[in-house]
Amino acid sequence: MPRALVLNDLDNVATLIDSGKAGDDCALQGEAKGTVRLLADVPFGHKVCIKDTSAGQEILKYGTIIGKASAAIKPGAHVHTHNVESIRGRGDQAGSSK
Amino acid sequence: MSATFLGYPRKNGSIGVRNWVGVISIMDNCNPVTRAICNAVDGTVPITTLFVRGQYGRDLEITYNTLAGMGANPNIASVLLIGLEEMTSEEVAKRIRPTGKRVEIINLQPDGTINAVANGTRIAMRMAIEASGIRRVSCPASSLVIGVECGGSDTTSGLSCNPAIGRMADRLVDDGGTIIISETSEFFGAEHLFAARAVDDKIRKEFVDKVVGFEQDAMKMGLDIRGTNPTPDNIRGGLTTIEEKAMGAMAKAGTRPLVGVLDYGESPVKKGLHFMATPAPAVESMTAFAAGGCQLIFFGTGVGNPIGNMVSPTVKVSGNVNTLRTMPDNIDVDVSELIEKGSKVTDVGDRLYGYTMEVASGTRTTSEVLDIRETAISRFGPTI
Repeated sequence: MPRALVLNDLDNVATLIDSGKAGDDCALQGEAKGTVRLLADVPFGHKVCIKDTSAGQEILKYGTIIGKASAAIKPGAHVHTHNVESIRGRGDQAGSSK
Repeated sequence: MSATFLGYPRKNGSIGVRNWVGVISIMDNCNPVTRAICNAVDGTVPITTLFVRGQYGRDLEITYNTLAGMGANPNIASVLLIGLEEMTSEEVAKRIRPTGKRVEIINLQPDGTINAVANGTRIAMRMAIEASGIRRVSCPASSLVIGVECGGSDTTSGLSCNPAIGRMADRLVDDGGTIIISETSEFFGAEHLFAARAVDDKIRKEFVDKVVGFEQDAMKMGLDIRGTNPTPDNIRGGLTTIEEKAMGAMAKAGTRPLVGVLDYGESPVKKGLHFMATPAPAVESMTAFAAGGCQLIFFGTGVGNPIGNMVSPTVKVSGNVNTLRTMPDNIDVDVSELIEKGSKVTDVGDRLYGYTMEVASGTRTTSEVLDIRETAISRFGPTI
């Protein structure tokens, strides 16, 4: 069973410390317990969603905001650049959102 | 009891952890001569540079200070400057002389490269013999200035190597030493947490101004920085945003108060934890550390980045089991037990601090032995 670390109880993501395949039950360690069933393959070091997250909602890791969801994310889904975007360093959005 | 190590005492009171003759190019056109001399003389390190010709204003001033700072670094026993013409060479020489170390200059004009290599080789040979007469003596850890860097980061960096380096940093600060963390853009999203550690409002403002100012400069390009930072290998390693990377990167600065904010390559005048404003790429950042007087650099890596600094021996630390299997030749310290066995950061970091004193006393690093070392001075303006 692949393992995933939860760093803060506020977090909606966990970091896999083994590689996981879709359908695997992933064991949570650290600040959360239990398992989450992977909806997709998640490589070593990548993140899995552990709480239902709607589009636009903040992504929390270390109990700190690391970005926002660009799409709705279900528990078990791979969380990465395809469904999370940065809030910082966004020169592409500068001046457009005032 | 405070830690000690065996180091080389210098005339200005600083302590070297290595005892090299530094052969420094004053301009890009001098690099072939610098390399030829270093190939001929054991005990030398080549400190090459690009540009200088055509630089002006603040950009040139920082370049001169960075070249001179590497020459002034305590790991360098004496300095041979290789220049094109005497005026520019003197600009660097006069900045190194106050250290009291021997500084010699060879200029390519008017006698040409073959004579410059021959004359420089003779001087460097004598300098190497002189340096070898200096003996290591017991020194307090408080005389160490250590740069903390990360590169080839992934999500394991923030869970293993960077927190372990952070514990080492806390131990050194508690022993009266100095830690410098850099890479301005890698505070985007974590700067509020780091700013809260500033000893006073002035330091806090200096730090925040550096980070916010740098982000505003980047924003003027009108681009999303993702893909550049986080880099493609960061993203492959699971880092999704600069904010996520920043949280992991900051862990290597430990937990002690922020006492000073430094410009690129500037030397700290206080003890304790400092921030230095540098670009994120490791070679540029580590060049600034060397110029700022760091005798050692600790470098956390996830997916693997082998590069070290020419003047400051660079200790590579990784906690990624895959990288430790595929790139073991490039890693000095394995801290994968933090993730694999759930070992305590304090225990692993304390061992790393013990190893710090070993490397400071002469134990060599992978990038040193394999000569995986490079120098790059950041540019802050155009060449004219």
